[in-house]
Amino acid sequence: MFDFQTFIQLVVSGISVGMIYGVVAFGYQLTFATSRTLNFGQGEALMLGSLAGFTIMTQLASHLGIPMPLAYLLMLPLVLMFGMAQGAVVEWLGVRQAIKTKSEAGWIMATIALGIIFKNLAENIWGRDTFTFPAPLPDAAIQIGGIRILPMEVLIVCGALALMAAVELFNRRSIYGKAVVATSADIGAAGLMGVNTAQVITLSYALSSLTAAFAGVLVAPVTLTGASLGSALGLKAFAVAIIGGLTSGVGVVVGGVLLGITDRLTGYYISTGYQDVPGLVLLLLVLSFKPSGLFGKSAIKKV
Amino acid sequence: MRGIIFKALLVIVLFALPFLLTSPYYIHLLATIAIFAILALGLDVVFGYTGEVSIGHSALFGIGAYTAATLNFHFGIGFYWALPAGMIVAAAFGALLALPALRVTGPYLAMVTLAFGTIIAIVINEAVPLTEGPLGIKLSRPLFLDWRPYADALPFLHMPLPRMREAQFYLATVVGLLFTLVVISRIVASRYGRAFEALRDSPIASDCMAVSVYKHKVLAFVTSAAFAGLAGALFAYSEQYVAPNNITFDQSVTFLLAVTMGGRKSRVGPILGSAIVVYLPNLLADIEQFRVAAAIIAALAVVIGAIRLYRGEANKRAALIPVALCVAFFVLSQEMTAITDFKLTIYGLMILFVVYYLPEGIYGFLRNLVGKFRPEWVRPPVDITGLGRAEDAWAATAPTSASDQPLLKASQIVMQFGGLKALDRVDLDVMPGTVHGLIGPNGSGKSTTMNVLTGIYKPTQGSVTFDGNDITGLEPSQIAGVGIARTFQNVQLFSELTCLENIMVGLHHSYRASMIEIGAGLPHARAEEKRALARAASLLRFVGLEALANEEARNLPYGKQRLLEIARALALDPKLLLLDEPAAGLTAPDIAELIEIIRKVKAHGITMILIEHHMDVVMSVCDRVTVLDFGQKIAEGKPAEVQANERVIAAYLGTTVELA
Repeated sequence: MFDFQTFIQLVVSGISVGMIYGVVAFGYQLTFATSRTLNFGQGEALMLGSLAGFTIMTQLASHLGIPMPLAYLLMLPLVLMFGMAQGAVVEWLGVRQAIKTKSEAGWIMATIALGIIFKNLAENIWGRDTFTFPAPLPDAAIQIGGIRILPMEVLIVCGALALMAAVELFNRRSIYGKAVVATSADIGAAGLMGVNTAQVITLSYALSSLTAAFAGVLVAPVTLTGASLGSALGLKAFAVAIIGGLTSGVGVVVGGVLLGITDRLTGYYISTGYQDVPGLVLLLLVLSFKPSGLFGKSAIKKV
Repeated sequence: MRGIIFKALLVIVLFALPFLLTSPYYIHLLATIAIFAILALGLDVVFGYTGEVSIGHSALFGIGAYTAATLNFHFGIGFYWALPAGMIVAAAFGALLALPALRVTGPYLAMVTLAFGTIIAIVINEAVPLTEGPLGIKLSRPLFLDWRPYADALPFLHMPLPRMREAQFYLATVVGLLFTLVVISRIVASRYGRAFEALRDSPIASDCMAVSVYKHKVLAFVTSAAFAGLAGALFAYSEQYVAPNNITFDQSVTFLLAVTMGGRKSRVGPILGSAIVVYLPNLLADIEQFRVAAAIIAALAVVIGAIRLYRGEANKRAALIPVALCVAFFVLSQEMTAITDFKLTIYGLMILFVVYYLPEGIYGFLRNLVGKFRPEWVRPPVDITGLGRAEDAWAATAPTSASDQPLLKASQIVMQFGGLKALDRVDLDVMPGTVHGLIGPNGSGKSTTMNVLTGIYKPTQGSVTFDGNDITGLEPSQIAGVGIARTFQNVQLFSELTCLENIMVGLHHSYRASMIEIGAGLPHARAEEKRALARAASLLRFVGLEALANEEARNLPYGKQRLLEIARALALDPKLLLLDEPAAGLTAPDIAELIEIIRKVKAHGITMILIEHHMDVVMSVCDRVTVLDFGQKIAEGKPAEVQANERVIAAYLGTTVELA
């Protein structure tokens, strides 16, 4: 029998997980805008952020005795800085050379390789098992009209939106943002106008990994964390980026939520085994009928 | 000759190996290498030739393996039928994947194939009735000769049916490998191989040469998928067991590593790479062997680095970094006690190293080295002496059209980019057999017109009819197919192909043999290739480039590149040829030569539209001239009339008096 309450419950939890997909996909967009490249190890950036956050928090708690919600807050800026550094490393080792030689295969292979290395190192540092991430908010669900919402789910949605808004604002209002727009429009001309395009690209990678690391510490309290956290999320975010369009900010939010909800509904009504399939089929359909994504603009090629 | 000896040696060695290495373990390893090589050779068609990255080949491999396993498990269908079935099923899945994923350029194929790999792994895990799910399916060694289906009809075939032993199975995989080698070599040497390389060099020019980029990318992927399926089917029987855990991201990356490390765009490279990646886990399982290997790599790096520094080929920093990395790797290997935990890190480092310091792979590196001393060994030149004559450059039948009707009629064309009308209700009638000039100041919409006529832009409004057919909104490759060829303002040659090959891409439309016929090496496919070669030689002679036939297009001086572009466009046997500023950047003698060529083309009945800023060229060859200014047609007529037209003079020189 169809239970409407369960359905709404699933939609709500789908929205919160979808926001995470959206944030990671947003990270793909940031680098795609400046250099037409993206980090195939974005999922691993998320995983590293989450594990680094875990270590920082346990250190804060055990050595300084800082209590839970405060430790989480203190950890955030450190994790964001860690994410930026990680992203800069990816750009420096994996992307810069390939952009110079205009080799698409080069950056795809190099970022995949870095992702594999990060994952393997994480397995050696934190082990192969998953473990629980201390939650900053209480576990008790809030009841709204018979629907149970976890405080953490609310935090995920708000945090994700706030982060994307902050990065967008930075891109639109700061002089750096102008440099990003200039670089994405014409990298050669931007360089001639005195924009340090290499730096802009590095910064876009740093911001991209920052969003991933943030997503990592947001999602970890509701799922489990561990070295294998990243792969699936990175892949989901690919689907979101294609469904929403690699150029549309609204696209990733809508795409993420869409995919999150489909996942949850399939998982409940059909089978958890098949949970990941419809989203990926949706991706193929979108490519077939609207290749630039639901919200993307198709580019005009110049001859 | 050398080629034949080399091939014969290769076959002998491959077949002799099981007699030299008698340990079943090593024979099994060799069979695995051969299987991986089949996949890697196929992957190279996509990854090496078209430049697209597939991270889904382990899924296609898995599909091949499961096709073999399920056919056997559910229907009792054996080894020999499993191989073609694996190819067909994997090719079908490849098409399903490539058709949507390749519609857009960019990293989409990589992203979609990654997703595809995940879907396939999930489906195989969940579809228990078909695949037995996580349990996997067991298979037994194939029968050496499988006569069971015919035994009822032909009773004398009732005899003991021995199963293949390790060595015999290895030989079966070698047959598969040789089949792959032959077919793929034929395909990449054919018009398809040239198309794959051309679309990577200049997608726009490919489309305008009637070589649809989309179609050929899909074709390359499907071919590649078929060989992945073959490899998978062989693998299922080689391991005698299939399970979903064969389909992983890491496995796909391993295949890519094999192709890149061995050397892309070659037959030797993927085989070499496969040998390395198959042997690698053994190496990593044994710390002593691993240390020795690291020492050898470090020593090689030091020697190569020293040579490069000594020759001054690279600056100190660029030469020393890889050497330092290799030495550091060696030191690290001495320190490590167990490597299995860091296996993937080592894979990752290898990929990074190959991407940066061996982009051409091991074989490519060696080939470049040999090429410095013996270039003809690396790229044997095609001898065109005595092939083709300048007079044979033309299509068998001269293009004809009713002479009182315009060949091309563009009516009320509007092309809008955002708020800007680049073309505003432009009409253009081009009469057959004429040279129609299109002039106007910079930014007046000449090149936009060209792009609308060739389908690169879809006009916002208006229609284009060509030879009585509506061609509005067709794809560039379709428009090229009906007989409109073009050259480009900024030369768009296939820079890494030779002059001869550039023209052969233009002749793509003249072939009839399909990829399967080419793969099978049928006589008519070979004859066709010979005819095309002679025709290409004729076209080269027509523009006077026969001496540069084997030179890569990018090495040509600018003026010659423009001539080559015209020859390539003529290869399309066009009814209408669009020349976009052919004289730009040419020296005076070159321009004289160009005018001569335009006159000869006209004499053969080919209609032309000529965009040009050199007024002397326009005035001397054009029959009619249309003048554009700010996207509008401001004048049309005979060259002399247009030259005297006041609005034209005003448009070019400006005016102080407002014209009514």
